[in-house]
Amino acid sequence: MAIATISNEIRRLRFAHGEMTQQQLAEKIGLTRQTVNAIEQGKYSPSLEAAFRISAVFGQPLENVFHYSEGG
Amino acid sequence: MPFREKSAWISMLSMLAIYGFYFGTLMQTTAARQPGNLASGITLVQTIVMLVVAQVALHIAVAIRKPAEAQLPRDEREKLIDLKATRIAFYGLASGVVVACLFGSLNPPVFFSTNSLLLILVTSEIVRSGAQIIYYRLGA
Repeated sequence: MAIATISNEIRRLRFAHGEMTQQQLAEKIGLTRQTVNAIEQGKYSPSLEAAFRISAVFGQPLENVFHYSEGG
Repeated sequence: MPFREKSAWISMLSMLAIYGFYFGTLMQTTAARQPGNLASGITLVQTIVMLVVAQVALHIAVAIRKPAEAQLPRDEREKLIDLKATRIAFYGLASGVVVACLFGSLNPPVFFSTNSLLLILVTSEIVRSGAQIIYYRLGA
């Protein structure tokens, strides 16, 4: 089975939304700043619920925030 | 360093120090051929009290510096880290109990059996805290 990777646009979207800090995003979605940082760096894949909450903060559909790709 | 990671450090280091002292004392009494006396039981009670006091005091000291972070409930990543670390510790605990059962079949004194079980329990707790720290360092 191919190794899948999940990348995201959170860092870019944070800066596009008034240079929102990780702490501010964390407070909006009910996670810790360290978890937002881990998601942003691709070290942790969030739950579907958290992913939807992040997308809702930026007013974007899920596929504009998270990208799924299967490695070869 | 996040509050939960500091908490794991406090748990691991306090258990290493205080139970290290307990088992060190135990080895001395065993060497002196006086195992299983009332003093050993008192030492164990003292150890447990010291551990509780040390952990509560250190957690309060850390929480005072960042009270908002300390009051936050665990989020999904922190819960996952807890579960992963607990699973690793459980394998150690289960293996240790099997070894202790085999050791028990040799009919050792109750003093040795109970303390070997305590050592296994303490070791698995230390492994759990250590695994939590590693997962926090890795990010998830």
